[in-house]
Amino acid sequence: MKINTFCSIILTICISAGMLCSCKNAENGRSSDTVEKVSGKEIATLSLAPMVPPPITRDHPTKVVVNLITVEKIMRLADSTQYMFWTFGGAVPGNFIRVRQNDEIELNLTNAPESKLSHSIDLHAVNGPGGGAEFSSVAPGHTSTFHFKALNPGLYVYHCATAPVPMHIANGMYGLILVEPKEGLPKVDREYYLMQSEIYTKQPFGAKGLQEFDLDKGIKEQPDYVVFNGSVNANAGKLALIAKVGETVRLFVGNGGPNLISSFHVIGEIFENVYLEGGQTIIHNLGTTLIPSGGAAIVEMKLNVPGTYNVVDHSIFRVFNKGALAQIKVSGKADSIIFRKN
Amino acid sequence: MKFLLTISLLNIFLSVTNGQAINKTNEEKKMLLIPSSFFKTFYVSKTDKPIHVDAFLLDESAVTNGEYLIFVIANPSWSRSKVNKLFADNNYLRQWKSDSEIGSEKNIHLNSPVVNVSWFAARAYCKWKAKRLPTLAEWEIAANAPPKNIAYTSITDYIMGWYEKPAALVLPEIKTTYLNTYDLYDMNGLVWEWTFDFNSFISTGDSRNTTNDATNLFCAGASINVTNREDYAAFLRYGFRGSLKGNYCINSLGFRCAKDIKE
Repeated sequence: MKINTFCSIILTICISAGMLCSCKNAENGRSSDTVEKVSGKEIATLSLAPMVPPPITRDHPTKVVVNLITVEKIMRLADSTQYMFWTFGGAVPGNFIRVRQNDEIELNLTNAPESKLSHSIDLHAVNGPGGGAEFSSVAPGHTSTFHFKALNPGLYVYHCATAPVPMHIANGMYGLILVEPKEGLPKVDREYYLMQSEIYTKQPFGAKGLQEFDLDKGIKEQPDYVVFNGSVNANAGKLALIAKVGETVRLFVGNGGPNLISSFHVIGEIFENVYLEGGQTIIHNLGTTLIPSGGAAIVEMKLNVPGTYNVVDHSIFRVFNKGALAQIKVSGKADSIIFRKN
Repeated sequence: MKFLLTISLLNIFLSVTNGQAINKTNEEKKMLLIPSSFFKTFYVSKTDKPIHVDAFLLDESAVTNGEYLIFVIANPSWSRSKVNKLFADNNYLRQWKSDSEIGSEKNIHLNSPVVNVSWFAARAYCKWKAKRLPTLAEWEIAANAPPKNIAYTSITDYIMGWYEKPAALVLPEIKTTYLNTYDLYDMNGLVWEWTFDFNSFISTGDSRNTTNDATNLFCAGASINVTNREDYAAFLRYGFRGSLKGNYCINSLGFRCAKDIKE
C-alpha cells in the first residue's frame, strides 16, 4: 500500500516534470513541431565558400534532399604550396547547406570511388546520438543515407566523425549548415560564407610544394597555418569579398578548428548584429566575437566607408604569421563626416 | 605498344601469347610462417588481456588480377556478369575489361593486386585455394612487422604518406612497396586488405559512440594514448573496416590468403 502511494507520487512528479519540459520547449520555439505541416520535396541548393545559397522563401517546411560527396584531393594551401585535403564537395570548407526550421532532411553522403578512406558526417544541427556519424559512415565508392528533422534554428558546423576524428577535421572535413527560423532572417544586401581552420604541416609556413600532415603539431595545438576558406588569401586581394557603401553584409562564419578558438574581428568595422555563436541571442555593436572550435557566428555590418577591410582572427600573430586574413573591398562614395584625415 | 592481356582457358593451358605472365601467375604463391604471438588492439583498456594467436601461414603478397582471373575462369559463378549481387555489389571487378579479360597494360597490370572484390569473393577464392582469409588479429600481427628493405623513420609516417598521395591512376604491381621482417610484401602502402572478421570490432562508423569499445577508441584518440603515434594509422584502418559490408567492392581494397599449420 505504502509502495503504491509512493509510486503514484513519483508518477505525479514525473508527469508534472514532463509538462514543465513541454512548456519549456514551447518557449524555445519548438512548440509548433507538430503543428507545422511538412509538404513537398526539393533538392537542396548547395554552395561553396564564399558564396551562400539564396534565402529560403517557403512559408512551410518541406522534405529536403541534401547530396554531399567526400573527395580526397590535392589543393592549394598557399601560393606554390599544396596539401592533400579531405573534403566535403571537393572544397575546403565544404558545401554550405541551407534549410528551414522543421524541414525533414534526407542526407545522402557519397564517398568518391578514388577515396582511400572511409568518411562520415556529424551535423551539429541534428538531434540524435552522434549527429548522424554512425548512420552516415561510408566506404569509398558507396553512398549512405540518413534522415533528420531540423528542429532547432541556428548556424551549425558539420564535420567528419570517422576515426581518427582529429585527423579528418585537420585535413579539411568541415562546413556549415544554416537552419533558418520559421520567420526567416531579415533581408540584407549581401551574404558570404567564411570558415576559419588550422592546417598542421611538417614544414613551416611558406615552405613550397606538397605539405605533409604533422600529427605532433596537431596534438600540441601548434599549427603553422590558420586560414579562412581553406588556404592563405583564399578571399583576399583579387579574390576579396565585395560590397558597396551603404550596404549591409551578413557573414556566416564557422570555425572548423580542429583546435583553436577564433577572436573574430573585422578591422575598421563594428558588427551591428551578432547572432552569438550562431544561436538566437543577438548582441548589438560588437567589435570582436568569440567563435569556438566546432562553432559558428552570424555577424551583420553596415558598410559606411569605402576601402579595404581586413577580416581577421584577432589572436593577431595568426594574421601576420599564419595566414588568418580575408578581405572585404567596399566601393562607393566617401562620407567625410564619418571618416576623414585631419 | 598496345596489346591486350587477354587470357582465355585456351592460353592458360597452351601459354600461347602471354606464356611468361601466365606461368608466373600459375606458380603457387609463396606462403610464410608467422610465429605464434599475442595480439593487443591499440585501443584496449588496461584491463583487457592480449589475445593468443597461433602460428599460421600467410601469402607473401596480395592476390593479383592474373591469379584471380584463373579463379574466375574456373568458377564462372564469380565472373562479373554472373556474380550474385548479394555477394558482390555493382563495383565488382569494374576495373576489368570483361568477364574474362583484364584489359590493356596501359590501364591495368596483370601483377597488380585484384581490387573491387567483395569479402564473399575473397573468401571463396581462398577456399578454392584450400586456404582462408586471415583474421584481423593475424593480419595486424603480420602487418606490424617492420620493413627490412627500405629506409624509414617511422612505419606510421610511411603509412600516412600513402594516404597523403592521391590514388595512382594505374595501381602498381605487387612487391613494389616494402618487404617486412616476416618476408611479407606490401602489408601497407599498396591496398587495403580484407580480413575474415573485419567487422568484429566496430559496428558503428562513429568512433565516439558510447559503447565500451568505441569509448576506448575515442578516448585513445582524444586524450589517453594519443602520444603513441602508431595509433593513428591503426585508427584509420579500424575506421575503414568499420564502414565495410561483406558485399562491398572498393577500388583500393584487395586481399591475401592465410592457412592453418597442420599438426
